[in-house]
Amino acid sequence: MSDLPADPVISVRDLRIAFPAGPGQSVKAVDGVSFDVLPGETLGIIGESGSGKTTLGRALVALVQPTGGSVLHGGIDLSALGAREFRRLRRDYQIIFQDPNAALNPRRTILSSVMEPMEIVGQGDRGARHRIALEMLGRVGLAPEMAERFPHQLSGGQKQRVNIARALTLQPKVIVCDEVVAALDVSIRGSVLNLFAELQQKYDLTYVFITHDISVVSHISDRIAVTYLGKLVELGPAEEVIERPVHPYTRALLSAEPLPLPSSMRPARRIVLQGEVPSPLAPPSGCRFRTRCPAAREECAARAPDWREIRPGHWGACHFATAEGPPEFPTVNS
Amino acid sequence: MAIAQKQAPAPLRGEALLNIRGLSLRPGRESNPLISDVGFSVAPGERVGVVGESGCGKTMTGLSILRLLPMRRARLDGEIWFEGSNLLALSEREMRAIRGRDIAMIFQEPMSALDPVFTVGDQIAEAYRAHLPASRAEARDRAIEALAQVGIPAPEKRCDDYPHQLSGGMRQRAMIAMALICGPKLLIADEPTTALDVTVQSQITDLLRGVCERTGAALLFVTHDLGVVAETCTRVITMYAGEVVEDGPVDDILTAPRHPYTSGLLRSLPGLSPRRGLLPFIPGRVPSFDAMPSGCRFKARCAYAVPSCEERQSLREAGPGRKARCARMGELSLAGAVQ
Repeated sequence: MSDLPADPVISVRDLRIAFPAGPGQSVKAVDGVSFDVLPGETLGIIGESGSGKTTLGRALVALVQPTGGSVLHGGIDLSALGAREFRRLRRDYQIIFQDPNAALNPRRTILSSVMEPMEIVGQGDRGARHRIALEMLGRVGLAPEMAERFPHQLSGGQKQRVNIARALTLQPKVIVCDEVVAALDVSIRGSVLNLFAELQQKYDLTYVFITHDISVVSHISDRIAVTYLGKLVELGPAEEVIERPVHPYTRALLSAEPLPLPSSMRPARRIVLQGEVPSPLAPPSGCRFRTRCPAAREECAARAPDWREIRPGHWGACHFATAEGPPEFPTVNS
Repeated sequence: MAIAQKQAPAPLRGEALLNIRGLSLRPGRESNPLISDVGFSVAPGERVGVVGESGCGKTMTGLSILRLLPMRRARLDGEIWFEGSNLLALSEREMRAIRGRDIAMIFQEPMSALDPVFTVGDQIAEAYRAHLPASRAEARDRAIEALAQVGIPAPEKRCDDYPHQLSGGMRQRAMIAMALICGPKLLIADEPTTALDVTVQSQITDLLRGVCERTGAALLFVTHDLGVVAETCTRVITMYAGEVVEDGPVDDILTAPRHPYTSGLLRSLPGLSPRRGLLPFIPGRVPSFDAMPSGCRFKARCAYAVPSCEERQSLREAGPGRKARCARMGELSLAGAVQ
């Protein structure tokens, strides 16, 4: 990632996405979120279930319409375009989904699935599409004989490679990866994550990596955003967020990660959060994390914290966070 | 289900609570085994993790102990000794008396393990009344106590909730309450935290460890997550392609595994430190049970394979309290989780 400021490839401003949920109710899946995706970077977005991270990812590739705010792709609001222009620009922004089985049509051969996006946008003739599809399958490390197989004949890791090849056929600028390794065994996650890194170098790709797994995010991201109940609570350089987080929630998440270390090397103290993520139908007033935050005070219920730059390039939403880190709170011996 | 009858008396080794020997499971009468020659023991109060990739036989091992296999024609061979009786030689009626009372199970997905049309209190009380003579009112009181024991707030109210009214973490707590209600000596937990968020996962692993310490129940914890095992268990068993390939104390195995497969699993974990560069992984995939290679089953994926790996390997002593199934375990120095 370059140190020079570059124009963002995607800019998200005060984005709000709500889904109707019965009479007079709505789920605010994303509720006032602003950030930029910079060219060539890997932005990790981490959150627990119900944090709105998947909806956010879908909004980044114009799969859901914002109910408020905007998502600009290279300065352009895709939702304001006509169908033809939309389709032309949209191809630069691809998404890969969590479940490699559900994302492939079981009745189509691998080759035919990989060719489909090019057919949809009308790229090249049949011969050219065939050639590109085979080339991309090769790039993701699949043998040519895989092309004529069907999804059920492949392993989970191989299927996810097919999905990656398919996303690459349109030479996108940005790929949103939604929990792409969650369905894979730990033993083969490394090979898929390595492939992402290799392709990024080769094709100058920008990634948005959405996951609940903090260890995956910490390994591949340049910057990390942390979401909680439809809001961003922290965004900063990966190393900073992992080693010196500013938000109490990030600190608790890091502390909850089970570490495969012998007892003598495990941190003696850890933070165990009480309760679970509240329902997004009725989020708490003020700071949304306050109901579980060990450092919550009265002010946290009264007023939502501002999204502010707590350290240079490191943003957070907590009344009491300082450049030194999150407010002090009690830990327990584990 | 056809059960192999064994004539041999019950030689309990040491004071093991559970002692499995030469266990194999075939999905049909003549099929190849899904798990073969599985043997290990669990001492009273001991917490043992069973790890491995999907398709290695971890779940089938857990289900075999309770004889709760999903296949109708499953065939189990070998011996599963539990408190002086071979579970494989018991009648279905005798087995039913053990399930839920002496050995209880906690499943991965509490939503599908709980019945949606009964309250959690009713379901927990039912588990109690199935084994112990008690009135409805008495069983309900016990259910409320059990819910309180697993950290459910306002248990006398929650008792009347239906499963859908509880959050994922609360449902898993209710499952644990149900498993504990008869005071089992062995808890089998199959990926009990996999469907939960990480902050809730740590609550549940703390709870499991706590209830085992408090009640003296032993725990057999089936999971793919070595981090969870490190935090919950004292011993770990690695399974690969239906066999036990390593068995030993958690700390020893995390520091210096004796089997290349355990080492590969440990090295594959990305860890929390931001570091660029390539991640280690294990090439290839677990062989299918109907195309099992001869000799060492891991050799095709193993970086240390030599010609002697073509021979069948047995699970051998590998240091104090440790066993491994590797021809080269004496000469290799393998990386663990700590590098």
